[in-house]
Amino acid sequence: MVGAAALAAGLVRPALAQDGTVKIGVIYPLSGNSATAGNYSKMALEVGADVVNNGDAELAKLIPLAKGGGLPGLKNAKIQLIFADNQGTPAAGQNQALRLITEEKVAALIGAYQSGITLTASAIAERHGIPFVNGESVAANLTERGFKWFFRVTPVALDFARAYSEFLKAQKAAGHKTDNIALVHENTEYGNSVGSVIIDQFKKDGFTVGTKIAYSANSSDVQPQVLQLKEKNPDVLIFISYTSDAILYTKTMKELNWKPGIMIADNAGFNDPAFVKSLGSQVEGLINRSAFSAGKPGSVPDLFNKIYTKKTGGDELDDVSVRGLQAFMVLADALNRAGSTEPAKLQAALKATDLPAEQMVAGYDGVKFDDKGQNVKAASVVTQMRGGRYVTIAPKARATAEVILPYKGW
Amino acid sequence: MNRFLIPGAMLVLALVYPLLVQSLPVYERLGALVLLGAIGASAWNIVGGYAGQVSVGHAVFFGFGAYSAVVVYTHLGWPPIAGAPIGMALSVLLAAAIGVPTLRLSGHYFSMATIAVGELVRVLSSTSEFLGGAQGLGGPAIPRTVFDLSFLSATPFYYIFLAVLVLLLWLTWAIERGRMGYYLRAIKDSERAARSLGVSAGKYKLYAYMLSGAFTSLAGSLYLCMFGFVDPESGFGILISVKMVVMAALGGAGQLFGPLVGALILVPLEELSNSLLGGKGAGLTFVVYGAIIVIIARFLPSGLLSLLGRRKVTRAD
Repeated sequence: MVGAAALAAGLVRPALAQDGTVKIGVIYPLSGNSATAGNYSKMALEVGADVVNNGDAELAKLIPLAKGGGLPGLKNAKIQLIFADNQGTPAAGQNQALRLITEEKVAALIGAYQSGITLTASAIAERHGIPFVNGESVAANLTERGFKWFFRVTPVALDFARAYSEFLKAQKAAGHKTDNIALVHENTEYGNSVGSVIIDQFKKDGFTVGTKIAYSANSSDVQPQVLQLKEKNPDVLIFISYTSDAILYTKTMKELNWKPGIMIADNAGFNDPAFVKSLGSQVEGLINRSAFSAGKPGSVPDLFNKIYTKKTGGDELDDVSVRGLQAFMVLADALNRAGSTEPAKLQAALKATDLPAEQMVAGYDGVKFDDKGQNVKAASVVTQMRGGRYVTIAPKARATAEVILPYKGW
Repeated sequence: MNRFLIPGAMLVLALVYPLLVQSLPVYERLGALVLLGAIGASAWNIVGGYAGQVSVGHAVFFGFGAYSAVVVYTHLGWPPIAGAPIGMALSVLLAAAIGVPTLRLSGHYFSMATIAVGELVRVLSSTSEFLGGAQGLGGPAIPRTVFDLSFLSATPFYYIFLAVLVLLLWLTWAIERGRMGYYLRAIKDSERAARSLGVSAGKYKLYAYMLSGAFTSLAGSLYLCMFGFVDPESGFGILISVKMVVMAALGGAGQLFGPLVGALILVPLEELSNSLLGGKGAGLTFVVYGAIIVIIARFLPSGLLSLLGRRKVTRAD
C-alpha cells in the first residue's frame, strides 16, 4: 500500500514546468577519479542546451534544432539541465537518479559515464518508467537486461575492436608487418574488458596477440614492462591506458629507446587533453580511435567544436565529451518529436529515432536504436597523431589525411 | 524504567518514519540508507568499539556479503537474499582465518594488518572471473519474484534493515551486559591486566571479530539487494571500511547507540550535501562533509553521544 502511494506520488509529473522549460537530469562524475571527464562532459551538454535554447546561425543550416527558441515541437520549451554528481560510486549514482526523477521531476536522464554506475542509475529509471539515455558506457551487459527505458548511443568495445582489426588488415595488405602483436592494458574494468574483446575479435580475424601485459594504472614505474616489450619486440603494440600511465609509458619508451612499427592506443589516457598537450609531440604517428573527428570546416562537429572551445577556453571536444553531447542531441530530438514530456510518448519517440550521419556531432553513421536500446549506427573513427594533433585517417568518408607508417615517436 | 524510555521512543519514531515521508521517495530511501549505515557501523562497533581492536579492513566482510548475494544469483539463479546466510557463514570462517594471526598484533599494527588484508582481497577480486572481475556483477535487473526484493519504494528495505538493526543492537546489548562485555572492555583498557586476571583475551577478541564480521557481511548482502550491483571498489574498497569507523567514532565507539547516532548524522549529511552542492561540480560536497567531521572530532572527541552521557564515559574510562 505504501508502495502504491509512492507510485502515485512519484509519477504525477507536470508535462511542462510553469515557465515553459523541460528538465533533463544529468548524472556525471563531477568529483572523484573521473571528475575531469565528467566536468568536460558537463560543459559539452551546456553547449548543446545553449544551442537548442538560443540558437546558432551556422549550425541552424545543418541541424533543425539549432534555430534557437527551444523545442518547436514542444511549445518552444527551453531545456533546463539539472546536474548531479555520482561521486564515482554506484550507490551515489542511484540515489541521485531517484532524486532527479522524484524531486526534480525530470523528463529523462542522461549519464552516468562509468558502466557500473550507469547500471544502478538506469535500474531506478526503469522502475519509475523514465527514459535513460546513455552516451559513453561501454559494458556489454547494459543493453542485455531487457530494459524498455534504456537507450545507448555510444559504440561498445566490440566496435572499437573491429575498427582496429580493419585498420590492421589494411596495413597488412599494404605490406606492413602485423604478425607479432602485443597488448598492454591497465588492470581495472576498462583495461580488462576492452582488452579481452580485442583479443577475441583479433582471433576471429586471424591476428594473434602474442604478448599480453596487465599493469596497475597507479604504478610509478613501468620500466619492467617496457623492457619486456623491448625483448619481445612486437610489430604492433596496443595500449589500453589511463592518463598518468600513458605519460609514464611514453617517457619510459623514449628513455629506453624502443618503439614498435605500429603503435595503437585505445583512446582514454592517450586522448586526454593533458596528455596531448604535454606529450603529443613524443608520439608522432600514434594510431588512436575516437568518437570525435573535427572533420571539414563548416561541418557539424567543426561548428560545435568552435563553440565548445570558446566555452572551455581552449580545450577541444574529445572522445568523451562529444559522446555526451551526442546523447543530449538525441534526447532533444526525441523530446521535440514526442511533443510531450509524458514518459511513454518520449519512449516511443526515442524508439523511432532516426538521425542521419550529416547531423552527427560524434563520428557515428547516425542514430537508430535496436530492440535492446543499442544505437546500431554507432561507430568509431581511426585517428593518427600528426604534429601534436589527432587527424582522422579512416573510414575513408571522414578521413582528412592518409596514414603514415611506421610509427615515428619522438 | 527510565533507561528504556529513550530507546523505546526511538523505536516508535523509527517505526512511523516511513509514514511521515510517504510521498517523498528520496527521504524514504534516506531512512533506509541511515539504517544500512548503522548496521555496518554497529557491527564494526562490537570489535572496534567494545574490544578496542580498530579494524580498518571490515570492507572484506561487507564485500563477502555483497558478492555472496550476487554470486548465488549469477551462478545459481537464486534470489540474492539467499546468499546472505552463505556470506555470513563464510565471513565467520574468514574472520577466524584473519583473526587468529592478526589479533595477536596490538594497536596500530592490527589496523595496518586489516588494511593489508582488505586491499589484498580487493585486488584478488578484480582478477577473478567468477566474481565478474573488475567489471563487477549485477543482480536481477527485472524482478522475477518478490524474493528478488526489487521494490519501487525503499520502504520495504527500510523495515528489513530496521529489523536487522534491532536484532543486532539487542545482541550487542546482551553482550554488553554479560560476561563477554566485561571481558571485552577489560581487554580494551589493558589487555595485559585482563590476561593477568585470567581473561582469555585471544579467544574473546576472536569471538567479537567473528560476530562483527558476520553482521558486516549481512550489511553487504542487504546493500546488494537494494542497489543491485557490486564491483571490487564498491564491495571491498577501503572507503567502506573507513566509513564504518568514522560513523562509529563520530557517534561514540564502544557505546550501544553510538554508531546509530553517527549514521543519523553522517548519512543525511553525505546525501543532502551531494544533492545540494554536487551538481556544481566543484567537489564542494567533500569540503563541507569533511569540515563537519573535523568540527565534531575537535569538540567532541568521544563522539556525539558523549554530550548525553558524559558521566558514563568518565566512569568507563
